[in-house]
Amino acid sequence: MSFSLAGKSILIVEDNPVFRKAMRDMLYSLQAVTVVEADNGIAAINVMSKSSFDIVLCDYNLGVGKNGQQVLEEARHRNLIDYRCVFVLISAEQTTSAVLGVMDSKPDEYLTKPFNAQQLMSRLTRNFARKEFMASVDKALAGGDLSKAIQLCDALLLSGDKKMHLHLLKMRAELAISAGDFEKARQIYHEVLEHRELPWARLGLGVIDFQNNNIEQAIAGFQSLVADNPMLMECYDWLGKAYEALDQYSDVESVLQQALQLSPQSILRQKKLAEAADKNGNLETAEKAYKSVVKLGKHSVHRSCSDFSGLAKLYAKTNAADEALKTLEEMRKEYANHPEAELRASTVEADVYKTLGNAELSQKALLKAVDICSRLGNKAPRDLQLEVVKTCFLSDEHDKAEEILYDLIHAHIDDEQFLNDLRRMQSGIGMDNHSEILIQKTKQALIATNNKGVALYKQGKFKEALDLFEQAIQTMPDNKTIIVNMLKIMIHDLKVNEFCEEKNQRIKALINKAKQIGVDPHKLGILQMEYVKLRQSQAVKA
Amino acid sequence: MQTHPKNNDLFPTILASTVHDIKNSLGTLLELVRQTAAKQDGPSAELNQLEFEAARINHSLMQLLVMYKVDSQKFSLHIEECPVIDILDEAIHQQARLAGLHNIDLQVDCGDDEMCYCDNAIISNALAAVLNNALRYTHKTVLIAVAEEDGYLTIAIEDDGAGYPPHFLTADLNDTAELDWVSGNTGLGLYFVSVMAGLHKNAGKNGFVRIDNESRLGGARFKLFLP
Repeated sequence: MSFSLAGKSILIVEDNPVFRKAMRDMLYSLQAVTVVEADNGIAAINVMSKSSFDIVLCDYNLGVGKNGQQVLEEARHRNLIDYRCVFVLISAEQTTSAVLGVMDSKPDEYLTKPFNAQQLMSRLTRNFARKEFMASVDKALAGGDLSKAIQLCDALLLSGDKKMHLHLLKMRAELAISAGDFEKARQIYHEVLEHRELPWARLGLGVIDFQNNNIEQAIAGFQSLVADNPMLMECYDWLGKAYEALDQYSDVESVLQQALQLSPQSILRQKKLAEAADKNGNLETAEKAYKSVVKLGKHSVHRSCSDFSGLAKLYAKTNAADEALKTLEEMRKEYANHPEAELRASTVEADVYKTLGNAELSQKALLKAVDICSRLGNKAPRDLQLEVVKTCFLSDEHDKAEEILYDLIHAHIDDEQFLNDLRRMQSGIGMDNHSEILIQKTKQALIATNNKGVALYKQGKFKEALDLFEQAIQTMPDNKTIIVNMLKIMIHDLKVNEFCEEKNQRIKALINKAKQIGVDPHKLGILQMEYVKLRQSQAVKA
Repeated sequence: MQTHPKNNDLFPTILASTVHDIKNSLGTLLELVRQTAAKQDGPSAELNQLEFEAARINHSLMQLLVMYKVDSQKFSLHIEECPVIDILDEAIHQQARLAGLHNIDLQVDCGDDEMCYCDNAIISNALAAVLNNALRYTHKTVLIAVAEEDGYLTIAIEDDGAGYPPHFLTADLNDTAELDWVSGNTGLGLYFVSVMAGLHKNAGKNGFVRIDNESRLGGARFKLFLP
């Protein structure tokens, strides 16, 4: 066997000293030289942040503190391990993978206890062989170069490796979806399904329906898929997303309930349940879910200060003011010197003190919230800013409310969903259509800018058009229409004029920005495809 | 009025914790066997027996847990395309010490790029339990052979032992309603593998299991059919 552990640095994460020794001896018997040990999750994270490992063998159940899955999530989230590292999650029962039903982070391998040296070695050998085979694609992806990853993946597919063929097809379809090339992905999934009914291919077709805005069709697909595969947790998440897109929050709630019964450890799913139940007015369910979120968040990289404020707001709604204030206090302890947390805490406090009849403390909290809000500007989450606005209106601080609203509307003028949230908030406090004039005016200004920019572009004045949009984006940051227009012009510029790396980098940055601010994936996909094809044809020429 | 509040929510958690605990004990036990063997320059017959029993407990426990999940509808197969040799290797490695210790000649007849669609973790574990039995009852040789038959992929495990007792041979392994034959380790192992085989479906066909004493080695023959 050509594969050896001799040159690999290995980390063992295991709380039981007998097993630690057993694993260490096993690794030494397999010619390992560098073996580091950690007996809990935090220690593991600490070692990983200091040195890099080729192999991490991590037990799922680590006693108190983080579990193995949480170690993996944090390691990936903080880039403590890269695409070359083989992460093995060790557990007592075989069905752990399904029970965890992780939303985003899967280990490279699950290993069931007890196992012997031969088993470990063959799993590691297989994983390293696969990683080596996929290295070029993984590297391109890690560097954020989608078009290169697609090119390399196509090249590997041509190599005709039988064992890797299906794995590559799956990867290729996922890459196509990321690039918005839904036709290519659909074609791959159909090709796979012709040979065999495989859930991931069926799921992929549903995802494409969802992205193409055929929500009803996507839902039908997801539903029949979970009926046949009750442990396909990913499918519940997609089903939830699809219902959310249709504003069917009671369906969102029941799907998530179902998923959580099978896999109660997922903090992200609990969060979604809490929000959905809250929206539906099922305060009891929401409270239970928020409590789980706070509890699960203790050791999770996915924790957020909004978990606490969500719970506190819920207490405020159920007139449990004491509980609300207690939760906020706990939050301040966990998130010291954290402006967003303080903003959340102050906003809820203003509300709670008001219902308690303490005008003075309420006023004080609100002023603090407004102050932090204006300092954070666009960095504060927009739903949180809306809450501050609402509290301001309710406390007769209209000037402050309008100030924040002005910026919010400018930043999100082409996001109908947000504007509807805003309208709903205002109707809720008896201010129907309050901001309609501002919204329409801002929209018209945007249209005027766009028309002017497009006209310049059509005259071939790319630079002038870009300058105009660049200026507009100062007052309307995160404006999707402007970003999309800029991308269109720049890609066209790259096509008709000589290739220039600086422009190329700017396009990549803009694509990332577009993704971040949530430009419609289909719209963005078409542009990305155009860009990928352009780069491919330039690569051929060069 | 309900006098005994049903607390079904807790049972899975308690079951999982219990399994975890037993598995930890088993792991410790196996590790101590290994350390003791190392101290006394190689394993004795008693230590081998200990290791064999531990492997048996492990299989039974794993099967129990999977069957519980199937029963409570918390189970679905995870079907993937996988090289058959990887599945066999996993099963063989699980039993590697046993084969080595008993000086059994374990032969494998499987092409390197033979592929199949199945839940490879489930199938390799189920095969490991069958293999464990074959290794126990054979004289000298065990053969694992992969072939294609009527559109099924078949994995046969054959030995040169005394063969299956008559009550197994007359039983219909794929009729899981008639369970007279399910007793003892062999029966449980066969039951498990036939249920798991039956869950594998493709193009209107289900997987199944067949046993007889027609082994080319002269003893028992087990055959798994995957659609």
